[in-house]
Amino acid sequence: MKVSLTRWAAWAPGIETEDAWRAWAKSPVPLAAEGVPDAKFLPAMLRRRCTPLTRTMLSAAWGCLDAEELPRLRTVFASRHGSINESIGLLEAVVRKEKLSPAIFSHTVHNAQAGLFSIAAGNRAASSSLSAQEDTWASAWIDALAFLERDPSAPVLVVIGDVPLAETFAPLVEEAAVPYAFACRLASAGDGPGIELELGESDTPLQRPPWPHALEFLRWWLSDEPALEQGARTTRYRFRRS
Amino acid sequence: MARTPCSLQALGQVNALGKSNAEIAPRLLAGDTSGLTLRDDLVPERSLLFGAVRDPLPEIPARLARFDCRNNRLALAALEQIGAEVDGAFSRFGRARIGIVVGTSTSGVSDAEEAIAVRERTGRLAREFDYAQLEFGGLAGFLAEMTGARGPAYTLSTACSSGNRALASARSLVALGLCDAVISGAADSLCGLTANGFASLGALSERITNPCSRNRDGLTLGEGAALFLVTRDPGGIQLLGVGESSEAHHISAPDPEGNGAETAMRGALADAGLAPADIAYLNLHGTGTPQNDPMECAAVSRVFGNALPCSSTKALIGHALGAAGAIEAAFCWLVLAGQTGDVLPLPPHVFDGERDPELAPIRLVTKGESAHVGARTRVLTNSFGFGGNNCALVLGRDRDS
Repeated sequence: MKVSLTRWAAWAPGIETEDAWRAWAKSPVPLAAEGVPDAKFLPAMLRRRCTPLTRTMLSAAWGCLDAEELPRLRTVFASRHGSINESIGLLEAVVRKEKLSPAIFSHTVHNAQAGLFSIAAGNRAASSSLSAQEDTWASAWIDALAFLERDPSAPVLVVIGDVPLAETFAPLVEEAAVPYAFACRLASAGDGPGIELELGESDTPLQRPPWPHALEFLRWWLSDEPALEQGARTTRYRFRRS
Repeated sequence: MARTPCSLQALGQVNALGKSNAEIAPRLLAGDTSGLTLRDDLVPERSLLFGAVRDPLPEIPARLARFDCRNNRLALAALEQIGAEVDGAFSRFGRARIGIVVGTSTSGVSDAEEAIAVRERTGRLAREFDYAQLEFGGLAGFLAEMTGARGPAYTLSTACSSGNRALASARSLVALGLCDAVISGAADSLCGLTANGFASLGALSERITNPCSRNRDGLTLGEGAALFLVTRDPGGIQLLGVGESSEAHHISAPDPEGNGAETAMRGALADAGLAPADIAYLNLHGTGTPQNDPMECAAVSRVFGNALPCSSTKALIGHALGAAGAIEAAFCWLVLAGQTGDVLPLPPHVFDGERDPELAPIRLVTKGESAHVGARTRVLTNSFGFGGNNCALVLGRDRDS
């Protein structure tokens, strides 16, 4: 299915506007390892309950959609690690036989960011949350296609983000560990211009870009290159303008 | 335009009732709660019932040791049951056309707890621990490597609706032609994190979970896995409808009016092109918490009235959280597979019989009850998750197919 990408927004430390992202895409450099957006659009009460990841992902979501669509569109939230940093303290409490914080526990579900988005935006539409190791970005795209299959008449908001893993697990994972989020609005393109995703297979994984796959996609989208291939395992994902 | 068929071709499952469809089906229909066991090792100073899988689980092959965790062993136990059908799909379509879409809410958390316990003693995480055991995407990654499937492979994790969502996405991937077959379902494993997390919320029952009772006091937790082979083939047992909603209400409590639940059920009916009267049986989310049952009964009553046979099967296997939706879809599959002539045997609603008079008076299935159905049998299953994520599925089977 061909889709059109009509709006997008991204956040990384120091790169917060469309102009800043366009400049980055022209001559991309590795991203800063620390930073959290202030997410002033969230009510103070809610903002206090938001983890760095939630603030980061919701900042991209709010940057991508206008006030009319925020409460209305279906959403795909994607994150490789989700709330695992918050889970570490809970795991330590379990091991030490200490009481767990119910508030922290409730917010460590993988769909915590989607749930808080739904509450903050008043959005009652369908929503999924997913994770797929190093292929999380392409999988988010595919799950958005799945939503468009169920109802091609309404666009879908895709939000992907991560923050660096805490020290407990960080040494176990090789990746571009930076805080970031990317959001885009995908609609069924019909016969108009759009992006096609072609699937393939390979015995050898592609080399990992020096920044998250979703931002490599953004760099490509802002370039005039015809296609972009990704795939950290044996599945190959080829994004192509058409 | 008619919707592309979505065949639930083969089913493997493991839970507290057993490790095969043949073992589980009669116990499901008998309302057998003997699979639950008392455990005092999960929540400090409390001895509680859990729906633990006691059967020995298959071992993860050495080449995939990085994925070796209880959650993946449960998934493997389900996968092995459909090995022949999965092999058939590989020869028919080729490995690049097979996808994996699965759900979990725990992934290998229990193994991460072990790893951190080792770190507390030695200063280093257990050597056998790998991050692939803990990250949610690890379940899909494991199944892809285990089977050799090279289509899309991802894990959906929307708390207790994860399993329903996985099947919903799998149906879309085959309908889009992105895959010819998808191995789809869910796995979830008992762990200290969820047990103590729900304990901290005051959500665990002191006894067996008691859905729709005036005496209900919370969940019994469980675990298990259910995996389907999903294809575009017509006939057999089909996934006919998906209904979804978010609540915009609260991170860990449902909207007391049940509006989100109602939207999901009505959406599933509309998607399947059905009227409420077409449904023969409803498998409730039915967690037995003070909050779930009133809102769900109210929503069911508004959509279906009070004559539709309904049951919660949570007292048989516990609430398997991220796997609950797939396991309950599996129970619906067993119900449909068990139809003989126009008689549809139903899983009973197991509780203490003391109906909460405050709940909308929906019809709860009693032991030994069957439904009489026509040429087309349609059943519905609900799952509602933390974060306000709801998903209802309609499964069906036509008698002449």
